[in-house]
Amino acid sequence: MMLEINGLHAGYLKGSQVLDGLSMKIGKGESVAILGRNGMGKTTLMRTLTGHLKPTAGSIRFAGADIAGKPPYRIARAGIGYVPQGRDIFSDFTVEENLRMGVLGKPGLGSTVPDLAFELFPILAERRNQRAGTMSGGQQQQLAIMRALLGKPDLLILDEPSEGIQPSIVHDIGTTLRRYADTHGLTILLVEQNLDLVNLLAHHALFMENGTIVERVDDIARLQTDADLINRYLTV
Amino acid sequence: MELVLTIGLDALSFVLTLLLVTLGLVIVYGMMNVINMAHGELFLLGAYTLVAAQSAGLPFWAGVLLAMLVVGLAGLLIEELVIRHVYGRPIDTILATWGLSIAIKQLIIIVFGPAAISLTNPLPGSVSVLGIDYPAYRLVIMAVSAFLAATVYLVLFRTSIGLQIRSVIANRGMAGSLGVNTRLMDRGTFAVGAALAGIAGAVMAPIMSVDPQMGVGFLIPAFLAVLVGGLNSLLGAVIGAGIIGGASTTLSSGMAQATAQICVFVIAIVVIRLFPNGLSKGFR
Amino acid sequence: MTRRLPLFLTIGIWVLLLLAPLALDDWRISQLAQFLTYGLFALSLAFIWGQAGILCFGQAIFFGIGAYLMALITLGKLPLLGESQWTGIILGAVGGGVGAFGLALFMLGGRGLSGAHLAIVTLCAAVVAEVAAQRWDFIGGFNGLLGVPPLVAPYTRDDMFLSSNETYFLVLAIVMAVYLLLLLISRSSFGTLLAAIRSNENRTRYFGFDVTVAKLFAFSLAGMISGLAGALFTAQFGFVSPPLVGFGLSTEVLIWVAVGGREVLLAAFVGAIFVRWVENLLSDKLGQYWLLAMGLMFIFVVILAPRGLFGRILNLSKSR
Repeated sequence: MMLEINGLHAGYLKGSQVLDGLSMKIGKGESVAILGRNGMGKTTLMRTLTGHLKPTAGSIRFAGADIAGKPPYRIARAGIGYVPQGRDIFSDFTVEENLRMGVLGKPGLGSTVPDLAFELFPILAERRNQRAGTMSGGQQQQLAIMRALLGKPDLLILDEPSEGIQPSIVHDIGTTLRRYADTHGLTILLVEQNLDLVNLLAHHALFMENGTIVERVDDIARLQTDADLINRYLTV
Repeated sequence: MELVLTIGLDALSFVLTLLLVTLGLVIVYGMMNVINMAHGELFLLGAYTLVAAQSAGLPFWAGVLLAMLVVGLAGLLIEELVIRHVYGRPIDTILATWGLSIAIKQLIIIVFGPAAISLTNPLPGSVSVLGIDYPAYRLVIMAVSAFLAATVYLVLFRTSIGLQIRSVIANRGMAGSLGVNTRLMDRGTFAVGAALAGIAGAVMAPIMSVDPQMGVGFLIPAFLAVLVGGLNSLLGAVIGAGIIGGASTTLSSGMAQATAQICVFVIAIVVIRLFPNGLSKGFR
Repeated sequence: MTRRLPLFLTIGIWVLLLLAPLALDDWRISQLAQFLTYGLFALSLAFIWGQAGILCFGQAIFFGIGAYLMALITLGKLPLLGESQWTGIILGAVGGGVGAFGLALFMLGGRGLSGAHLAIVTLCAAVVAEVAAQRWDFIGGFNGLLGVPPLVAPYTRDDMFLSSNETYFLVLAIVMAVYLLLLLISRSSFGTLLAAIRSNENRTRYFGFDVTVAKLFAFSLAGMISGLAGALFTAQFGFVSPPLVGFGLSTEVLIWVAVGGREVLLAAFVGAIFVRWVENLLSDKLGQYWLLAMGLMFIFVVILAPRGLFGRILNLSKSR
């Protein structure tokens, strides 16, 4: 198992639990999408997995080691790459400096940007010396994903990567990322509202409600055909 | 003309030393959102380390080096024992570091006594600069401060460690998720900020009267410099130190020191009121 | 801990203060009367800091204004205003309030200062005030003003000067009145507004409340009480000097309030008396080490008990 979560509890204030005993598993090389309405705890789950929020109970095993409650940098170094909601690129840094940040924090990856960075998303090569904050949302998203990939993660966590980006670009990003994951054996955990991207990237889908996983769909094609499923968990 | 030149040189040497103290404050605030009220006492600790080193018979420069080490270590200790526990509580950092400044100052009084100590100038004599005789040691202070400030800027903007430090300042959470050891960065920058204040205290000691109040005497101008320049800006530190240091020196040449001091404070308060984000942002 | 304990303790503290003259000799009672004025001073800071969330590093400016006005009037240096102590006390309070209003107007008007900016600006203002007091000869310069007469009776009698016990009861009555007033304000709708500003200033503004006016009022009221405390202090202490307006006393009162408990008025008040009392008890024995211990204690309280030593047990409101 790449990632194994058992009975995870987490929340922001005393007494209120956003994650309420959540359990799930992801196998190596699998891509899993988590779907659910707003406020069901998806982002809280991402923040807990990446160490930005301490769980109050439960365990998170990543590649065999317990990472629950560890600081973000330890989790990153253990092999989890994170593309947060809103992307969080360093907008005052140049594109190249942003990409350097992808390798600098990881011991053994050196301090220069490998060529791979500019092959996958050619736009980044063009914009290499531009300030990252001046790029479009789609370009920033490519930068954020590339920055995470440069750290050679085993598991890549993406939180709403399609947010605020035009559909054709979302599609391109999805195709490129799928190809990369297949050739490198990358495991992906994706939180997403955009079903097109989910279809492109994910093998399985998990539905989340009130802080737990309520249903698992093994065949991602069912999302296209089973209108009932979508109505039950996604439509407001 | 000669007077103008002398005042200019005096101002420059004060500005550069003030910059050393200010840089530590700005970096620590940027990194950790900590307003370090004990920063002036780190300056004080540097001066008294030199006093101790001199009375133990160490040569001057060994004393300065020792001051850097001692105060840097003190910074590490302070980060571990106090600062770490009040992260994310900005007002409490002001109070806790205030308590710390009282404790350090009193410790100095207990060890060295409350009276002012004067040290011998390690480089008496003067050098001719542009036609005027200027104390040689003041030129040394300028050189040391300029060198250190330039080093800090080069490290921050030209090295990969600097890039990581700036990434923590820009977005601590994301920096951590990219694997940057934020804990180590916190410790390191706090210690370096402290060491800079320590060196500043040591090199200034021979030309000031070393007494337990000199820390506060430097803390307030440094804070005003930070606020005048802009709390979160490294460029602002230069602007702020330039304005506060320059104004203090220029005004004290024309009136009593205490009057000059309150004039500078009043000017600074007005500037802070008009540009709460600092001049470095106000001009954009 | 029962829910009623804070109420019992609150009443108990006031009863103890009322009965204190029965147990303490003259010298101790006049000591305690002085501590009461420190407590009054602490109440003013607790109000502005604990209730409205404004951290002021220069509260002694207003204490000092009250102290100097009291001295100037009773020494006959402002002949137009007479020499009555009652004028001194009233003007001391008014002067502190006006000073605070002026400073607050400067700091808070428009897109005002807050947080660290305000803390440092008030700290500088205190330094400026202290240096100004040192250099102003009319108010005695470095040496200050000596020979301020002690409190006298409001009616004609053989010995006009109040005895220790009388002074004590007069001060206690004023302190109790101010405490009740502040308690009333903090429980009124205005107090709720201040609490809202403390917890989220911008959101309160968006709801349509005039945050600036509320803060101005709170700051001026706190300044007034500081000035009143300063005036009372001077009459008991007999002289004024520049440190009374300065940054040392400003930070001392901050420590009293933080140690006692910034969120609860009475906790801050008890904090002031407690710290001064311990200081009296220990500073002789500990000498230089007293301030060191005080600094360390302050750090411990801030880190481990941010609500102060007495904040929890004296908290009268149910929530929080």
